[in-house]
Amino acid sequence: MATGLGRRVGAHNLRRLSSLRVVGAAAAAVLVASTLVACGSDTGTAGNGGGSGTITLSMQNANVEKSDPATFQIVQAFKKKYPDIKVNLVGQPVEQHEQQMTIAAQSHTLPDVFWVYNSLAQTMVKNGNLLDLTSILSGGQLTAKFPPSMLAGYRSGSTQYGVPYQALVTGLYYNKKILAKYNLALPTTFDELVQVAKALHSHGVTTISQGANQSSFSVWAFLTMLDRFGWEQKQAGLLDGSVSYNNDDFKRLYGHIEELAKAGAFPSNMTTQNYQQAVDAFTSGKAAMLDSGVWAAGTIQDSSVGTDVGFWPGPTFSDGVGEQKLVMNAPSAPLVVSADVKKNKKKLDAVTKFLQFYYSDAGQQILVDNAQTPVTTYKPTGAAAQKPVFASVLAALSAPGWTSPQAQPDLVVSAEASNAMYESIYGVMQGVLSPAKALKMVAPTIKPA
Amino acid sequence: MVWLSRRWQLLLMLAPALLVFSVYLVYPVVYSVFYSFSDYNGVSKPKYVGATNYRAMTHDDVFWSSLRNTMVVLGVALVLLIPLAFLLAVLLSGPIKGAGALRALIFAPAIVAPILVGLIWVFILDPHIGLVNGFLSSLGFAGPQWIGGTSLTPLSVGLVYVWQTLGFVLTIFYAGLKMLPRDVMEASALDGASRWQQLRYVTVPMLQETFGICTVLVITGAFKVFELVYVLTGGGPVHLSDVLVSYMYYVTFRLQNYGYGMALAVVICLLGVVVSLAYLSFLRRRRRA
Repeated sequence: MATGLGRRVGAHNLRRLSSLRVVGAAAAAVLVASTLVACGSDTGTAGNGGGSGTITLSMQNANVEKSDPATFQIVQAFKKKYPDIKVNLVGQPVEQHEQQMTIAAQSHTLPDVFWVYNSLAQTMVKNGNLLDLTSILSGGQLTAKFPPSMLAGYRSGSTQYGVPYQALVTGLYYNKKILAKYNLALPTTFDELVQVAKALHSHGVTTISQGANQSSFSVWAFLTMLDRFGWEQKQAGLLDGSVSYNNDDFKRLYGHIEELAKAGAFPSNMTTQNYQQAVDAFTSGKAAMLDSGVWAAGTIQDSSVGTDVGFWPGPTFSDGVGEQKLVMNAPSAPLVVSADVKKNKKKLDAVTKFLQFYYSDAGQQILVDNAQTPVTTYKPTGAAAQKPVFASVLAALSAPGWTSPQAQPDLVVSAEASNAMYESIYGVMQGVLSPAKALKMVAPTIKPA
Repeated sequence: MVWLSRRWQLLLMLAPALLVFSVYLVYPVVYSVFYSFSDYNGVSKPKYVGATNYRAMTHDDVFWSSLRNTMVVLGVALVLLIPLAFLLAVLLSGPIKGAGALRALIFAPAIVAPILVGLIWVFILDPHIGLVNGFLSSLGFAGPQWIGGTSLTPLSVGLVYVWQTLGFVLTIFYAGLKMLPRDVMEASALDGASRWQQLRYVTVPMLQETFGICTVLVITGAFKVFELVYVLTGGGPVHLSDVLVSYMYYVTFRLQNYGYGMALAVVICLLGVVVSLAYLSFLRRRRRA
């Protein structure tokens, strides 16, 4: 190309070049606009075109076997039990996955069963893209196996459009060795946490490992804190517009986050590091705590700090609202089924068998074997439940006097509002937003339905 | 010999290219413009909302800060990239030992995927674990937040963009230099022109078209910067380092607001075209003068 350009320059064919340049400039510029559509040119999903005994399961991890071994093993066990049913397991990173599901919904090429954020699932169910799972669940006597809160969030009118993929158990992992090294006890209240942060900061140790780059959603422990400031009591009002996110209770919480940031609790590079790097910082012993969830228990267990880690649901607040002894154990994003599945009886039968296996005791035990808590009422057994990190998560869930909210706050609002919530929390942590500005940023994004 | 110069024959031969061009360029642009006038979430039926998305843009603080950041990247690229690439091309077109190897070395970043370029520079510029601040700290200085802070990120993105694109622009200049007629250079040398005078009064005027092409490429390239920001900071903190395309991506795919995202895409496209055309018109006026 360069040689061609050089030749043209040598020829001094100015007029021709000018018009060529205009066309070239315009073509290069329109490429910007075409980026969006090009992104959607290939959904990467198998759609519904496979044999009727084949089901496609599309997940939010590029490498399901490595990143989500529980799902991978459930699929393997299912295939062993039903050798005549083929499961095509595909996956891509979460953002790409959401894009592809959106585009697949437009072109009616949704995979048979797929993971999706609840906000997008709600749009899809309104658009008639999703199958009502009520008969599948009641047919296999599965409905009774779920705690009511696990299904309630995925119901639209009388339509049960989703089932929780896994339980969302979140909180702070802590490194006992680091706390002991500086003669610090595990905090229970927020004031104690601030003291711990100040002490660790004076020794150059990060208190809570966080990573915002491409993972601004990684503020789970702080979303539970919203519940400790009355989110659940306010939820109906927030969603119908009668209560503003910019209220005195949440203002106090955001003030506390600012206090924690000023105490030096967070890493200085949390803007540039992503969630995985935050996990790495914790598992390599460079941070005393990690904001994460039960999905990280296996990784932490296998790391060099695995024997020294415990799980803490987070601090209680003397100026909080309502119940303070809250541990987040809510349904995560749902598994949903394409409405097109019902057009093919054999496929519908295969999907029914798959979901009934996934939520059977055998399926839930596979979750437990991979350090995931069950989403049904199944009581876990086996060696995996005894591993220290996972056992500490289970212990937190069954601690006397501790209860769980119905849902994680970000999962009951729109994508716009949940993103604004994440950014407002990170903005205060990073010191670029004051609590007042952060609340003002979120308030207008929560719109009445 | 058979001459295929009839109009229908020409059209027939152009058809495959026109078809590809229409499918991959014209259709997406028309699609973007159409949806930019709608309230569309990517799944439900789009609802026509007139110019609402464009009006919303005028009140959108993040759009304006993204535009400002894009202009900073463009400014850094224009001020540094064009002169640096030209001077290096002049230097490397002379009889220097190892010039070929140096050219290959400078060109290397242009063939590295932008995502990888971003990853490499995270490890150089990160305020906590980066090489630059590590070096400054070993000298007893506290390094600034090159990326991830509230002010320096667009400048850093501009510098990384210069590093990434330098080899490509240099190659265009190098090709232009090699195509300059030798007799003109020899005549100027015989007339007693110094190296500087040759450069100033012969080489630069004769490469005017090459300068034009490179500048347009840099302008359109700066309006398309995405991966660098995406990897370096993800647009954070709180969108302070977003450029136009990274903000468009966020609006479209994270917020599922396709209508507004498409409006942003159309505006980015128009900005690229307008700035490029304004520059070309400036060049044309100067040439006539």
